[in-house]
Amino acid sequence: MEIGEDKKTQIDIDEQGELEEAVTEGLAEYVDVVYLEPAKTSFYRTPGGVIALKLEDKTYPRVNLHRAFPFSLGDKYISVREGSGQEIGIITDLDDFDEKARGILKEELERRYFTPEILCINSVKSEFGYSYWEVETDRGHRRFTVKGRGDSVIPIDEVRYLIMDMDGNRFEISDIRKLDRKSKKYLEGMI
Amino acid sequence: MSRVKEVFPYPFLGLLAMLPLFFIVVIKFGIMGYAGIPLDAGTILIASILIGVGVDYSIHFLGRVISEMKTGCNIHEASLIATRAAGYAIIINAVTLIFLNNYSRYTRMGEKKKINKDFCADDETFSLCVLLFKVGKKAMVILGGSTLSIKEDLPKQIIEALGDKGIDPQVIEFSMASDLTLNGEFGETWLLATKEKIYIVREESDNFVIEEVLFTDIERIRPENMIGSAMIVIGKGEDDRILVCYTSALARKFSIAVKVLEKLRKGEEVNEEDLLDKDFERNCPKCGTLYPNLNRKVCPKCLDRRSIFRRVLSFVPRYRSQIILILLCMLASSAMKLLGPFLSGRILFDEVLTEGGKYEGQVGKIVLIIFGSQLLSLLISIAYGRINAVMTAHVIFDLKSQVFGAMQRLSLSFFTNKETGWMMTRVNSDSNQLQRFFNNGFPYFIVNIVNLIGIAFILFSMDWFLTLLILLPAPLVIYIVRKIYPRLWSIFSRQFRRNSALNSLINDSLAGVRVVKAFGKEDIEVARFEKRNDDLFDISMEAGHMSSTIFPLVSFLMGLGALIIWAVGGWQVINETMTFGTLITFVGYMGLFYGPIEFMTHIVDWWSSCMNAAQRIFEILDSEPDVIEAPDAVSMSSLNGEVEIKDMTFGYEKTKPVLYDINLHVKPGEMIGLVGHSGAGKSTMINLIARLYDVDSGSISIDGVDVRKISMKDLRSQIGIVLQETYLFNGSIAENIAYARPDCKRDDIIRAAKVANAHDFIMKLPDGYDTVIGRRGMNLSGGERQRLAIARAILHDPKILILDEATASVDTETERQIQEALERLVKGRTTFAIAHRLSTLRNADRLFVLEKGKNVELGTHEELLKAKGTYFNLIKIQREGMKIKGIEG
Repeated sequence: MEIGEDKKTQIDIDEQGELEEAVTEGLAEYVDVVYLEPAKTSFYRTPGGVIALKLEDKTYPRVNLHRAFPFSLGDKYISVREGSGQEIGIITDLDDFDEKARGILKEELERRYFTPEILCINSVKSEFGYSYWEVETDRGHRRFTVKGRGDSVIPIDEVRYLIMDMDGNRFEISDIRKLDRKSKKYLEGMI
Repeated sequence: MSRVKEVFPYPFLGLLAMLPLFFIVVIKFGIMGYAGIPLDAGTILIASILIGVGVDYSIHFLGRVISEMKTGCNIHEASLIATRAAGYAIIINAVTLIFLNNYSRYTRMGEKKKINKDFCADDETFSLCVLLFKVGKKAMVILGGSTLSIKEDLPKQIIEALGDKGIDPQVIEFSMASDLTLNGEFGETWLLATKEKIYIVREESDNFVIEEVLFTDIERIRPENMIGSAMIVIGKGEDDRILVCYTSALARKFSIAVKVLEKLRKGEEVNEEDLLDKDFERNCPKCGTLYPNLNRKVCPKCLDRRSIFRRVLSFVPRYRSQIILILLCMLASSAMKLLGPFLSGRILFDEVLTEGGKYEGQVGKIVLIIFGSQLLSLLISIAYGRINAVMTAHVIFDLKSQVFGAMQRLSLSFFTNKETGWMMTRVNSDSNQLQRFFNNGFPYFIVNIVNLIGIAFILFSMDWFLTLLILLPAPLVIYIVRKIYPRLWSIFSRQFRRNSALNSLINDSLAGVRVVKAFGKEDIEVARFEKRNDDLFDISMEAGHMSSTIFPLVSFLMGLGALIIWAVGGWQVINETMTFGTLITFVGYMGLFYGPIEFMTHIVDWWSSCMNAAQRIFEILDSEPDVIEAPDAVSMSSLNGEVEIKDMTFGYEKTKPVLYDINLHVKPGEMIGLVGHSGAGKSTMINLIARLYDVDSGSISIDGVDVRKISMKDLRSQIGIVLQETYLFNGSIAENIAYARPDCKRDDIIRAAKVANAHDFIMKLPDGYDTVIGRRGMNLSGGERQRLAIARAILHDPKILILDEATASVDTETERQIQEALERLVKGRTTFAIAHRLSTLRNADRLFVLEKGKNVELGTHEELLKAKGTYFNLIKIQREGMKIKGIEG
């Protein structure tokens, strides 16, 4: 009964969002969570630009990284999957890896979870159910179009917001308090 | 986008350069036209060249905009600009052409006619214009994005870089720019391809680096979606290689790129169809505005509000007398209102209380008149309210039943295309809005205009100078209403949203109270509640602060007008250039003046939202059902139940068939089990047999008559459906059973229930057959609902029966009872059953096995088991599933 087990692990996340391993340890006989130990793994970038993994003596020519908690714990609990989608194992914490591997992994995560951070909102214009945004992000100037009002600007916590444009691009505001007055005013008009 | 703006100067410079030439031609035309000299061939030549250049230039300009917008940042905004630009360019060209052609014609004929006379009248010019507009429209469609260009204009530096590498830009078959670099920064990367190779061109410290891949080194090309961006990955053997990254904004364009590259790799020709991107039509082709609802391609900007308004007015004759009465009442009451200040000001002070006045000392009389006018005004407003109430009820009733009736008339496809919520809104809120239009908006609009004109007229005729003075604060008031009120509304709507968030939380935690209690998490719920309550508190404070500032401010500003009157008027009274009564009258009218002004500032928003509501309603009223009764439909009151399906093909979208070439002959009374994986087309087959949809090709006939030729009423009365999801209407059990025959006897209902094995559980309910489903927590279990549905079908007594069997798990006893009921129901009827249960599969006379929309097997259970095909495998899987559950099949 795998489904039931999944639910249990979800409940075990306490308020800080940390996993309490002790509670679920007894379940190991039903499901096997493979944790990738830094010592036994080596990640490297292939000439083609994808990430490959050497795990003990097995080589995976192409792996993908999926964040388990993309909003709350971006650098922890990263599922490493084969090209076919099969999970190889989970990285508990990127900080456990040496600088080189961490660099590669972080770079890959940044690419996969492409979310420019909005530093300043120059203007937001609303017309007929769409709003046209013009912003400065950490990766440069950007204009995008957002459909609807409330649904596309998603609060992650009190100060963090995620904005999805109508094409599925994502933008992040990591701390609304750090925005300048004008930007804040534009944002408040949209939430 | 900023890039698009940057391109703009170039075409303008170009146009500027053309200007002198243009003037020369115009002047020449002018002189020759004036002198009546027929145009010589040379001038016409120059003119046509000029036009040609103009057209070319605009096309070139568009090309630049397109290429920029593809690399640029916001494709939606860019396409909007481009579409508009294209429109303008083409219209300018068309106008120029009309001008020249008219001129040349008239001068050729040697007539000194003015150009604007009979402008554009002759056929030749007209057809030319039409042609040009057509070209323009096509350009807009291209820009709107029905086909994509796979050869984007390469920047000069890249062409140079290619040249340096010895690559001829002419052999490039494909070029497309992405908006990301390989390491995930915004920036350009170009993907080029010839017949043999793919090139990737990227910028690296001001130099262009060109990499190449041979198609022979590629085994697969595929797009991979990531979160917020995507990439194209090529691969050979185990090795993958990232070709290019792009943001989701360009996902559509690059999905076509993958198609094209795949064709190039295989050495196939790229045809236009590959480039067609239907989903791309998200902008209105006329003005480029994005459609607010992509399923409903109506542009809010180009909506012909006037014709909708005319149509809304066509409802008026029905309520003509009421509307006229309402208008009369309103006009009368506003006349009374206008009379008020005049009586209590001018007459009372100047003629009654002043020495030498016309009615000096007749205080009692004048007060009586004032009282009388107020009484009259009261009576009028009572009458108005009454008429209004009657009319409101009428309009709402008519509109709602019209819309609802239209909806019921429509075919199933209309409903599957739209969300239920959307339709609920249509029936309720849109008809309310239209009703408001009839009995508030429309009369108010007229009355306010009359008031405004009336007051202005009276004031100006009394003292124009003072009137101008009191108008001084008006612009300020209008400004506040236009600019600051919207901000206030946005705060209010945020307050509303937070309030509903709070409500939904209360609802949520009350509904889940068992979980909360069981886990002992009451504190967390309280904390969550407090958090939202805090949010609501904050916004309520803000709303309170703002409204308590703005509203007094507005009334203060309006009061300023009165202040001006007091000051200037008071001074005039002292100088005896104005009577005291006039002053009082002025102040009285002031109070009436700003109300209509405020109303007028809202009128535009109100009007357009009203017309949108009307448009949506008309959309439903106008929708034509897909499945319509043939004019020569035959009545067939009794059927034998022989069904024949011949070469049937069908798809919900015409281009994507769900069922292909289905052939099946069913004898009367035979039971056919439809078997197949989910998505194989079983439900679709059922929908077609019941004629909820019409087949695309081939035919379905019952007793040898095409279903499209059988009258709808007879067809439906002979076909019964028992669906997987049993829908019970709000009403008593008896009503639900007798849904198909509301006038049947009570005995029939009980007998049907008995046959369906439902009688016993119904009798155990305290209210028996009168139990109202859904009331007071009265809910039936899945098994009970199914048996009610069977009873309903038994009473319906159809010749052809359609069963969509439930997969819901019920206990063995219930299962047995349902099975028994079904066996009784099926007897003597032609039955199509979507079968899940093994028992049904065994009972079916023949099994019809579908796979991916095609009939792969047909035969009895035993025959198909022996054949060891698709059916055999399905059964095997099902048996294994049962073993795991511990139920041996």
